Amino acid sequence: MSGAAAASAAAAAAEVTLGDVRAALEAATIWCPDPAVRVAGVVAADLMSDVLVDARPGFVLVTGLTTVQAIRTAAIADLAAVVFVRGKAVPPEVAALAREMNVPAFASPRSLFDAAGALHAAIGHPAAAGRGLEG
Amino acid sequence: MTESAFVHAYEVAGADFVNAGRASTAIKETLKHMGLAPALIRRVAIAAYEAEMNAVMYATRATMTLRVTPAAVTIDVRDEGPGIPDLALAMQEGYSTATAEMREMGFGAGMGLPNIRRNTDALDIASQVGRGTTVMMTVRVS
Repeated sequence: MSGAAAASAAAAAAEVTLGDVRAALEAATIWCPDPAVRVAGVVAADLMSDVLVDARPGFVLVTGLTTVQAIRTAAIADLAAVVFVRGKAVPPEVAALAREMNVPAFASPRSLFDAAGALHAAIGHPAAAGRGLEG
Repeated sequence: MTESAFVHAYEVAGADFVNAGRASTAIKETLKHMGLAPALIRRVAIAAYEAEMNAVMYATRATMTLRVTPAAVTIDVRDEGPGIPDLALAMQEGYSTATAEMREMGFGAGMGLPNIRRNTDALDIASQVGRGTTVMMTVRVS
């Protein structure tokens, strides 16, 4: 694992959607034009360079970093969505950028650990995709 | 795409964390319009973004010059800044001189230059302490 806060899990099957992620994390929608978009996996991190190393296209970024850089990182790395955790207030400029750049975004009251655990349970079997939690 | 090169320059302001990443996003959009392969665009975009963030974090200002030919995409990031005293050290994963403010923005993990190297086919860095740094990145198209 390239960072202490980073963990990633590749989906064994791309059957989980953004709507499923939102439900699993009891998240509020900031911007999501299409909840049926499928999720390829999850990366949980607060350091964006770790995200740029670990994430693959279609991954959901789960992060406590509520700055515009979380949205820009997601757009650069072709991620499916950003979930802001720990119930942090998402600044209006971050929500506006998500909409402007068409990056689906959600806000969850869960901790980073709980959110990553819930998504791991929902998506499951990262080893089947050749990559475990240490990846 | 014709045989002639497409060249465009983007200005980057040091310490402007709100707009940091705009140039790389614009570069990515340009490459999309050119119809380059998504995987190649993603590599270029990640390398450009890391280099842009380095410039925003450490330099006073920088110019990112995108050059696209049928053979390769190159981006030169030329900054006016403190320079890098020990390039070999800076290339090591985890080595960082980032401040707390930079880390609060989600950067400064010591992965920037290694991540640029990971996503490019060629990387050259020229740096003069007290003057600035030029990062030259190449991703081959074919």
